[in-house]
Amino acid sequence: MNQLIWRLHRQQLLFAGAALVVLGVVLVVTGTTMAAHYHSALKLCAASRTCAELPDELFQGDGFIIDLVSVTIIVPLLFGLFWGAPLVAKELEEGTQDLVWVQGVTRRRWMTSNVGWVLVAAVLWGAAMSALVTWWRGPEDVLRGGRFAVSFDITGLAPVAYAVFAVALGIAAGTLLKRVLPALATTLAGFAIVRGSVGLWLRPRYLGPIRASLPLVNDGSGAPPGAWVLSRVVASPAGHIYDPYSPAGIPAACHAAFFDNSALSCLAAHGFRRLVTYQPASRYWAFQGIEAGIFVALAAGLVAISYLAVLRRDA
Amino acid sequence: MNVARGTTMAIETRGLAKRFGSTWALQDCTVCVPRGRISALVGPNGAGKTTLLRLLVGLREPSAGQALVLGRQPRQSEEFLASVGYLAQEAPLYKRLTADEHLDLGAYLNLRWDKVVATDRLRALQIPLEPVGTLSGGQRSQVALGLALAKRPDVLLLDEPVAALDPLARRAFLSSLAEAVAGGELTVVLSSHLLHDLERVCDHVILLAASRAQLCDDIEVVLESHKCLVGRRRNAADTGAAFNVVKAVHSERQSRLLVHTKAPVTDPTWEVSDVGLEDVVLAYMGDDGSVTAGPLSLVGGEQ
Repeated sequence: MNQLIWRLHRQQLLFAGAALVVLGVVLVVTGTTMAAHYHSALKLCAASRTCAELPDELFQGDGFIIDLVSVTIIVPLLFGLFWGAPLVAKELEEGTQDLVWVQGVTRRRWMTSNVGWVLVAAVLWGAAMSALVTWWRGPEDVLRGGRFAVSFDITGLAPVAYAVFAVALGIAAGTLLKRVLPALATTLAGFAIVRGSVGLWLRPRYLGPIRASLPLVNDGSGAPPGAWVLSRVVASPAGHIYDPYSPAGIPAACHAAFFDNSALSCLAAHGFRRLVTYQPASRYWAFQGIEAGIFVALAAGLVAISYLAVLRRDA
Repeated sequence: MNVARGTTMAIETRGLAKRFGSTWALQDCTVCVPRGRISALVGPNGAGKTTLLRLLVGLREPSAGQALVLGRQPRQSEEFLASVGYLAQEAPLYKRLTADEHLDLGAYLNLRWDKVVATDRLRALQIPLEPVGTLSGGQRSQVALGLALAKRPDVLLLDEPVAALDPLARRAFLSSLAEAVAGGELTVVLSSHLLHDLERVCDHVILLAASRAQLCDDIEVVLESHKCLVGRRRNAADTGAAFNVVKAVHSERQSRLLVHTKAPVTDPTWEVSDVGLEDVVLAYMGDDGSVTAGPLSLVGGEQ
């Protein structure tokens, strides 16, 4: 069975391997340079006590690579489209299931080997990619604390779970729809919908966010560094939310300051506070674990459906 | 079940039926094929030939009845799969692989695999070492047959193996098959909607029409037990009472019957002649492909 899978899918594997190597080389080369800059810059700024200004200078000129790294967010979907969806659908579409399902290998074993290998590949490729990106983004995520808020989807465990889910979704779509093209469309739409709704709606609710009422200071969110800020507003002492585009509802004394930089300090002097809702940085791994758990569970369900469909199929 | 019978019959079905939605693809199908026979599974398009073969190899589940292949129900076990070879319609192959690579795949997937003989066959047939997607239909069929034979199955089921081939390739395919089967214990069932293709290589016939088995016996027996009678015009009720009439044509002055009879016809008012297999098959199918009301007494098991 394993030789069959290797023979039929080695091109895909080699292609994916080559893409991973290219990404790896680009990231290792630029990442090593960046890390060197980062460390020497840290030494300098520590001496001159200007470390707060570092990030903006440090990553200038890396625009393309930052984009490249951000684009890895779609790679799990590509696994689903190129590895998952055709896995069963291509056999059914070309009729080769009539060849392979009557050889001396049961359908269960055929399915186990195929699904097993493609999931292993998804985990390996997903993990390698995530490790590269996590390492590459390390200095920036440390400096800007963006690991939770910005790069949650492309670092840590999440990309591996997304890859597993995308492949499982592709397999299930291909098995049920029996045609590659509809399976591709379904995988694309399904992945976008599930990822989107989990990321936007479910993820902020994994654990109850922390609500803090903080003094108004001129800069920053006020939340602890590295936190994932869900909302951030200015409120009057009575609890009314202040609308930054209209001077209504703010003390008359601050009207004059509304158009210059002293507005905040004026409001602060009148008892205005900043209300921040956030997930603290310390929950990053808990959130990664929950996110990964959700997607792996969904993948398990999809794989089970595919199994039932193949084993019970009246081919 | 009688064990001795289970071992002499390569294929045995009882009341086998398959329904897709509200239409029956196969109904009440009771047939048996003794070991070592090469059986022609004939019938018009849509008669259920493919369904029967797929039920026998376990690609489909019966809606009713039972199928036994070598005394076992078709199922997903390596032992069963190893004993049955199946060549699906249009000989599906992995288009990007060569014939030799297919033989390698077969070797990976089967415990019993006769690679040397299969490779020699492909060389003798001068199958090019290119991806099979570029081969002709005849060559692809030969590759697919080679795969099915390399498994060294006890029962080989071929679904319309020559339908898409030109007459030359058809002849080459059938002589390859006859050669491979010669002298062995292999039982073969090959389907076609054209009896003519199969008559030369087969010694057994199963006729499916209107999703039922109309005929299932050795060709020799079928020919012996069917006669063509020609005589003066009679009415249908009389001939029906006297004979097991498969098909009757009454013209103004004479009646022409195809009857199923085991005893010799002694009535001197009939002129009796032998019939060809094609006549019998067409009679059961009806010339227009629809089934005439004929006896089902010949159908399987009644031996």
